[in-house]
Amino acid sequence: MQNLLNHDAVASRRTFLRSSGLGLGSLALASLLKDDSSAASTYTGVPGIPHFAAKAKRVIFLCMAGGPSHLETFDYKPELAKMDGRAMPESFTAGQPIAQLQGKELKCLGPMTQFRPYGKSGQMISDFLPWHGKIADDICILRSMVTEQINHDPAHTFMNTGTALNGRPSMGSWMNYGLGSEASNLPGFVVLTSVGGRNPQPIASRQWSAGFLPSQFQGVEFNSSGEPVHYVRNPPGVSVAQQQELVNTLGQLNAHRNEMVRNPEIDTRIAAYEMAFRMQASVPELMDVSDEPRSTLDRYGAEPGDGSYASNCLLARRLAERGVRFIHLYHRGWDHHGDLVKHMNTCCELTDKPTYALITDLKQRGMLDDTLVVWGGEFGRTPMFQGKGTEGGRDHHIKGFSMWMAGGGIKGGMSYGSTDEMGYNAVENVVHVRDLHATMLHLLGIDPQRFSVPFQGLDMRLTGVEESRVIKEILV
Amino acid sequence: MHQPFAMTLLVMLGFPLAVVAEVPDSFEVDFQRDVRPILSNKCIFCHGPDAEERQADLRLDTADGLKADLGGYRAVEPGKPELSALVERILSTDAEEQMPPPDSGKSLSAGEIEILKRWVAQGAQWSGHWAYVPPKRVALPTHERNDWALNWIDDFVLARLEAEGLEASPEADRVTLIRRLSLDLTGLPPKPSEVDRFVSDEDPAAYEKLVDRLLVSDRYGERMAVYWLDLVRFADTVGYHGDQDHNISPYRDYVIDAFNDNKPFDEFTREQLAGDLLAGHSTDAKIASGYNRLLQTSHEGGVQQKEYLAIYAADRVRNVSEVWLGATMGCCQCHDHKYDPLTSRDFYSMAAFFADLDEAQHFKDGSNELPTKRAPEENLLTKRERQELRGLEQQIAQLDDNLITHTKDDPETRKILEQKLAKLKTRAEEIRKNARKTMVSVAIEPRTTRILSRGNWLDDTGEIVLPAVPKHLGQLEVGDRRATRLDLANWLTDAEQGVGQLTGRVFANRLWYLFFGVGISKVLDDFGGQGETPVHPELLDNLALELVQSGWDIKHMVKLLVHSRAYRQQSLEPDALVERDPYNRLVARQSRYRMPAEMVRDATLSISRLLVLDYGGASVKPYQPAGYYRHLNFPVRTYEMHRDTRQWRRGVYVHWQRQFLHPILKAFDAPRREECTAERARSNTPLAALILMNDPTFVESARVFAERILLEGGESDVARVQFAFREATSRMPDQLEIELLTGLLDSNRGRYQKDADSAAAIVEIGLKPGHPELDLIELAAWTGVARAILNLSETITRN
Repeated sequence: MQNLLNHDAVASRRTFLRSSGLGLGSLALASLLKDDSSAASTYTGVPGIPHFAAKAKRVIFLCMAGGPSHLETFDYKPELAKMDGRAMPESFTAGQPIAQLQGKELKCLGPMTQFRPYGKSGQMISDFLPWHGKIADDICILRSMVTEQINHDPAHTFMNTGTALNGRPSMGSWMNYGLGSEASNLPGFVVLTSVGGRNPQPIASRQWSAGFLPSQFQGVEFNSSGEPVHYVRNPPGVSVAQQQELVNTLGQLNAHRNEMVRNPEIDTRIAAYEMAFRMQASVPELMDVSDEPRSTLDRYGAEPGDGSYASNCLLARRLAERGVRFIHLYHRGWDHHGDLVKHMNTCCELTDKPTYALITDLKQRGMLDDTLVVWGGEFGRTPMFQGKGTEGGRDHHIKGFSMWMAGGGIKGGMSYGSTDEMGYNAVENVVHVRDLHATMLHLLGIDPQRFSVPFQGLDMRLTGVEESRVIKEILV
Repeated sequence: MHQPFAMTLLVMLGFPLAVVAEVPDSFEVDFQRDVRPILSNKCIFCHGPDAEERQADLRLDTADGLKADLGGYRAVEPGKPELSALVERILSTDAEEQMPPPDSGKSLSAGEIEILKRWVAQGAQWSGHWAYVPPKRVALPTHERNDWALNWIDDFVLARLEAEGLEASPEADRVTLIRRLSLDLTGLPPKPSEVDRFVSDEDPAAYEKLVDRLLVSDRYGERMAVYWLDLVRFADTVGYHGDQDHNISPYRDYVIDAFNDNKPFDEFTREQLAGDLLAGHSTDAKIASGYNRLLQTSHEGGVQQKEYLAIYAADRVRNVSEVWLGATMGCCQCHDHKYDPLTSRDFYSMAAFFADLDEAQHFKDGSNELPTKRAPEENLLTKRERQELRGLEQQIAQLDDNLITHTKDDPETRKILEQKLAKLKTRAEEIRKNARKTMVSVAIEPRTTRILSRGNWLDDTGEIVLPAVPKHLGQLEVGDRRATRLDLANWLTDAEQGVGQLTGRVFANRLWYLFFGVGISKVLDDFGGQGETPVHPELLDNLALELVQSGWDIKHMVKLLVHSRAYRQQSLEPDALVERDPYNRLVARQSRYRMPAEMVRDATLSISRLLVLDYGGASVKPYQPAGYYRHLNFPVRTYEMHRDTRQWRRGVYVHWQRQFLHPILKAFDAPRREECTAERARSNTPLAALILMNDPTFVESARVFAERILLEGGESDVARVQFAFREATSRMPDQLEIELLTGLLDSNRGRYQKDADSAAAIVEIGLKPGHPELDLIELAAWTGVARAILNLSETITRN
């Protein structure tokens, strides 16, 4: 009766389950590790994925953590200016979620800057972001975003995993699981962070967790100053040659042991050590930008090793060049409850030009066509005034805010959707976070509906159980 | 009785039948094993317990539903597939008729269709879901071989192996046995001297003596606690946003004590869920009631109280249901369960048990400081601390007496006694002063609990519910009064009036997993329809009953498991098993797997003898990369590692920062403890390799181990390699292993002879002062060898 068994599927499933330790119970998931010994380095994704031709091969997600104000960046609201200082109509706010303004008097706060049209498309962009003006024709602004979580921590979790519940994979993990990595010496999901602006937002490592997926798909944080990855350098007193010999000897000893015990897990471990050793060379090489011409550094405004958003943008390009699938940047300064103008000046000073540089650099290298770039915070900010600090600011807002996408199959030079005249509710072509996820997956050649993993009895998707929509109108 | 093997195994192991080419004629359908999983996976999402989702008013998860009159016909007509609508619809090729509908994303394989057809033809036998039916004591099965079974676990295992035509593996050698037992029962590898003693012990009861010795060690409680702390999501920080520290470490010590004292599991349950409600409750019970405070909380500015009350309530329902019931009630926060007979009403009724917990104080006082204020908290001494204090007080009282009665005319003695007394008093004072603050449960007037439609906490229109257990599992007999957390705890462990037997099955399955590597039902946290029908249902039932009837005696259960012949088998995997039972579900051998994170750390520290076996106390902070907490704020965090012996304490005591779990713990798959974790992943990643090779904890261990090798390992290189290898793996290296390691030694030696600065650099890693008299070059070279040995796959493997 042995012919009843599909041996290949069983063997690979077994390897997978052993190396991951997870009972995912899915053959699709299971049949992915075809060759025990190369499991750690040459995983090529779920069979059958991409479901169709991909427009984008990789994603750079520029997360403006804290929640930038849409009303001072991309959502031009002249009507709100007229209401400045007056009571916010209750018709907008009654029964709606609210964060720090709970129990406070709600008054309107007009836009604290000017807007002007840019580029051939004439997209309206605020004076805080003059460099964005120069890429107006490359980006598609989504002016009608909505999310479901009003506090930072769960809102990031929601933006990254599609749910506020813990323990779910981050989008970078999903995409690496689905497509595999093209980088043989680097992790497929890399996170870089920077600070500057108001009191930096805490960011939990769960934001780049692989959740219930095997940990090989987790995001790995690269530090732009100090040791780039924890323990990626040899201990003091150990040379590269010694480390190499250690890894070789270990490989031989483990392989020798495995002749007797024949445990596929040992093969996986040998491969993991080899990959670790390769990373010890490739990560510092990646992080060392001394081979970049001065003109490039200047374009980004980056100084090697300064840990700035500008340096991270440059590193994002280098990671993209090396085949990293998902590159996630966090700039942690955007929580502007008060002194909004001051903090916007700081944040935009630090991020506006480097973002422009990243887009144009990718474009010049012909990489923007297959690199999807996404910009946005975990939510927007209220049209209502909040007064922490000496000058006005805005509270968290989830019913309407702006993000943008560019490259990798996105139509540049357009805006999509809109909020009402006060910038409170998204009213036209509303884009939910899961629509954003669906669109990202679609551009990577993945049908969001058909991309699921069984967990706790359910077919889990990045886009969740509710309906999600690929925003076809913004695709090339 | 003999099922065609591959078929049985496939079904049993939950393989999708898509991989089965044909269903053999002789195949006899078993509802639990074969049919229910198909219905659950493919049909019940739309035809199940969720009334809102249910299509065509048809239920396929109940006997009544299957056979209900649908207007002149029935879904299932027992014995008559040709008259059964279910069969007709699954065979249909018409897209309008076909079930599951083509757009559902689900489809049935030919094998699954055949199973369903045959099930109807064979009479459509139906029975309640296995996990909801109380376990039955089953008579011991017979088997042919009569020289194998050591206890009744073996009778079940062996009978099944024989039925499948498989042979049990031989008993492992004694070296492997003591290594396995030491790791499983204490989380530490045996010392070579212990190995020698056991290997040469001719007493027929040598094995049982060893088990007894390990079970009375304090290390046993530390090892078992790790598993429980995963389940209940114990951590040192709040988890959300600023991830501030909170006060809870005495609860961890309570859990360790409970396992060491072999506290009966029902009492353990009561004290945690309702310690504060027990009449005349003890200090331990109060500490234990910290269980209700282990959930993640937020102190983010702008937290909406009402929203977070809903979040906290849901968190508690998820945890209590997963820990004790093996039920995924979390689904019911927004809707009736899709697969199990659990409703939204059940969910909010369960939440109502916890509505008396005082949360108001922590919303009011919760602060962005370290630790954050999370009243109600109390300064309490743990059991061991109280014991020590009592002992000291007795000694002090006696000395006081002595001073008065005996030493009037002897100034010399008096002085000595006074000094002794002062010392004792200082220590007693120290203990009292260091009483740690810990979060406890305090009951207040219960908040109103409403059913929140779609989980929407803004909706105040839902029906008000009172505390109640899930309806399908019965109800509490509490008369007119409101049921309490104590009623819930009693119900969970009461074998007659409550679901104690079902709880017993959940926990027995997890004990099996701890000692065999995989559960009898593989899905340890979901005993619902989407879990796995147990591979050995009768064995699991008997284990559940044994646990309950032993008076919830966990050490008794552990003994029973490790005394079995099944446990003692080799873990080598013969070719026959690679193909036929790749996951070792039938236990024709033992399992082989990488140790959990804490064990990896502890084993390394133990091999180098850096390990410090202090018991209990505040959490400890080992080496950690600079800047690892730089993403934390409110307040900004600086990690101050401990610079004394706390540096080398066991993993169970390491500070558990939910948002940035210590890199060692994280690299080896310890969970962040945001939710209940019943089974940890066992990954092999490059990041784990980097940690084991380069993290100072491991490099320091290697250099201190190298000192031991030089001091204790004999004179020749070969003798030293043998010594070192055996310390780490419990066995002697073979010729090739010796050659590889001496080769590594020689090249290290060559390099350090030319570069003494590098030699000095590596032997300076870590806080432990180096041995002053050892040759620097030799020490550095042997550190290189020690690193290799500590990184061996075998060193971190339990087999």
